[in-house]
Amino acid sequence: MNALLKKLARKAEQGETYHLTATTVPIEFRAGRLHAIRTAQTEGLALRVIRDGRLGFATTTDLGNDETLIDAALASAAFGDELTVRFPENGEPTAAAVYDPALAALSQEKMITLGERAITALAEADPEVEIELSLAKTLETVEIANTTGRTVVEERTGLSVGFELSKASEGDIFMLADGFTVRSLAALDIDAVIERLAGFLAHSRSVVPAPTGPSRILFTPNGTITLLLPLVVGFSGRAVYMGTSPLKGRIGEKAFDERFSLTDDGTLPGGPRSAGFDDEGTPTARTPLVDKGTVRGFVYDLRTAALASANPTGNGYKGGLFGSGGFRTPPTAGMSNVIVDAGDRPQAELLSEIGEGLLVESVLGLGQGNIHAGEFSNNVAVAFKIEGGEIVGRVKNTMIAGNAYTLLKERLIGLGSDLQWVGGALRSPAIAVDGVSVVGAMQ
Amino acid sequence: MQETIEQAIARSNADYTEVRIEREDRSQVDFQRDKLENIERSSEVGGIVRCLKNGGWGSAVFNDLKTLDTRIAEATRAAGLVATRRETPAELAPVPTVQEEKRVELARDFRDIPLKEKKALAEAYNNLLLTHDKRIVSTRVRYTDSFREVTVANSEGTFIVQEIPDITLLVLAVASDGASNIQQGFESIGEAAGFELLLGREEEVRGAAQRAVDLIEARSVKGGQYTVILDPHLAGVFIHEAFGHFCEADFLYENPRLAKIMTLGKRFGGELLNVVDEGYIPGLRGNTPYDDEGVARKRTTLIRNGVLTGLLHSRETARAMGAEPTGNARAVSYAHPPIVRMTNTYIEPGADTFDDMLRGVDRGLYAVKAYGGQTVFEQFTFSAAYAYEIRNGEVGELVKDVVLTGNLFETLRAIDKIGNDLELHGGSGGCGKGGQFPLPVTDGSPHIRAQNVTIGGN
Repeated sequence: MNALLKKLARKAEQGETYHLTATTVPIEFRAGRLHAIRTAQTEGLALRVIRDGRLGFATTTDLGNDETLIDAALASAAFGDELTVRFPENGEPTAAAVYDPALAALSQEKMITLGERAITALAEADPEVEIELSLAKTLETVEIANTTGRTVVEERTGLSVGFELSKASEGDIFMLADGFTVRSLAALDIDAVIERLAGFLAHSRSVVPAPTGPSRILFTPNGTITLLLPLVVGFSGRAVYMGTSPLKGRIGEKAFDERFSLTDDGTLPGGPRSAGFDDEGTPTARTPLVDKGTVRGFVYDLRTAALASANPTGNGYKGGLFGSGGFRTPPTAGMSNVIVDAGDRPQAELLSEIGEGLLVESVLGLGQGNIHAGEFSNNVAVAFKIEGGEIVGRVKNTMIAGNAYTLLKERLIGLGSDLQWVGGALRSPAIAVDGVSVVGAMQ
Repeated sequence: MQETIEQAIARSNADYTEVRIEREDRSQVDFQRDKLENIERSSEVGGIVRCLKNGGWGSAVFNDLKTLDTRIAEATRAAGLVATRRETPAELAPVPTVQEEKRVELARDFRDIPLKEKKALAEAYNNLLLTHDKRIVSTRVRYTDSFREVTVANSEGTFIVQEIPDITLLVLAVASDGASNIQQGFESIGEAAGFELLLGREEEVRGAAQRAVDLIEARSVKGGQYTVILDPHLAGVFIHEAFGHFCEADFLYENPRLAKIMTLGKRFGGELLNVVDEGYIPGLRGNTPYDDEGVARKRTTLIRNGVLTGLLHSRETARAMGAEPTGNARAVSYAHPPIVRMTNTYIEPGADTFDDMLRGVDRGLYAVKAYGGQTVFEQFTFSAAYAYEIRNGEVGELVKDVVLTGNLFETLRAIDKIGNDLELHGGSGGCGKGGQFPLPVTDGSPHIRAQNVTIGGN
């Protein structure tokens, strides 16, 4: 037990420290050139206490001052929520391969070279495109200790790569973004992203009118977030317990097409959100959410699990659903890596199967609609018209609307066979659905 | 403290060195349904060094103030590395140096209010939501306050200490018909004010709960093109998100094509349209007396009588574009260097009354409040919290699922009425840009009317 918890032990029933030490190096390229380098050395400590059965929380960056932090957390516990959880006493962290010494040793100079190489390749694909690129290396150590005497420590590495491409002319500004996070240098495949981006750039040169009416849509893996975001929200044990998830009480029910399977997997080796343990020290796990169309489970942190009489699934994350709260926020139920099972045919085959419709790579206003109910209604950001099974040009000022739950149950055409990491948390194939409402603005 | 910072800056080998140190005291009370999700009082200290060397930028972030010299060296090294790749060196427009200490007086300083009282306030509002109607299935009430003391010092001799208070309240009710119809109603309030700001808000809280319930019964809007009246809140979000970000010069100064689209003197809207970014209006969240480069606030007219007359600048963009710095270089916290941001941005009031706007509208929508908005360059999408149909010049039935979308430039030109009823809204969230979120800002507008707005829907 660390010194702070020893001091606390006389004043509270339980205590837990979350100690984060991080070095981050973001390198920013703008207008195709190196623009700025930042280095960040940060360290913070969060303390959760349970006194008289009530939960208290406080954080600090003043690491030498245990008493102040303890007093703040106890003051919060005086008015905190009554809680029946116990901080975990045991459980081996899972081996999730989240540290790569080669990535830890990656120099600023090498990062610059990586970025410049990517920019050169993109500029060759389309000399008119404006390129912004960010590379951010993270090296962090998380140590979670609690008053049961248990301490878990993990070192984690990460490299996040984000592209933002734009082409501007009077009356038409087009932007394309993509990005990913890897845990090891070996997993880094910038060429795959460049190939994808170059393909979209080639198809973006002509703008064509969008169809209006119910349409078939092929969501690229990046585009599937439109359909999957409501599910990410709905499969949180917290939303189920709170009654805001339409999946409440539906375990065992066939709520999706039988070709659709969804898993939360915090143990996936090298996964961008994999870890040995979650932000409460609970070992991560693989939790089936949908198995061949049938609802199988939800994800839980310690507290929601206790409230809902469910088992914690190692999904207590700081900063909520996509949890990047650092040490500052208390943990709640959130997803780790969300995986959609691959389908049986390549994306190209789905394209010809669609025949007439839209290919959607990204939308605007993600998550702004009635996401609890599964509704989406978005302007497309990057989308293309499909005619005769081929991409014929880009569409703009076009709204797509539908309900993710309905589409994935009743209107699924098929899933692609190639999985792609999307953002930093989702792994999905392309998904084709029918009956999405499309409204094209007057051109 | 001042001496330590000034001596460290004096030892720097960079051409320009800037140190910003922040001390923050904050507290939060967060209810979800009947559960107290979080109650806390925390403090944080951190800093950032930003150095310019041979025309390249480098910066270094830290929590340990004792490492200031090392961080300056680290930032200078990074800056030197950047300089080797830069085509045109970054330079700073000259500004007067400032030595000033700006302390803030709050009517009821929230730092003196016990956590118990903050909890009682949030709990009372939460109970109002929970007991309003049996169809309310979930709620969220989040109270936050933050008091920051920001020190900005640079190698030109500027040394500013300023205090920045911020207090917010979000109340949200989720109603359900027991099946898949789940609807929300919310209110959000935020200002640079004391605890008094959030007292006596019962009516607004009940209003949010009632709206969630009403929306269950409401019809979904039919997609298509409408004449739309935007309420001040939604119009403010529109002018901030869709237009304001375009005026941020860091987005333009290295991109000649975009800069051409945003040429000063160009017409963007009708004679009636005037848009302003104002760095200080007493009590507002977006207030930035001095920005994070130590530049004094300004009132920048972005659009005057429909014509683009100004952009928002940092010292670097001002120099590159031959303009004056406008005091808009802001950082969300010590973890980030300043970038060009808005402060308090609003459409100036016009002459029309709400009735003037309704007149002559056969088929339209009155769209109220925003869940949020997103823009990618000229394309925007906003979700209205709710809307009413307008039929034959009269406000009618409540409708839901109203998502407005379109092209910024077309929509600015389509604004044909501007009300005389300016309202400014701080909200409980903030603005996001370049990974820096949530930056406190204020948006505002009177009611405005626009023709042919595309509304998405099933």
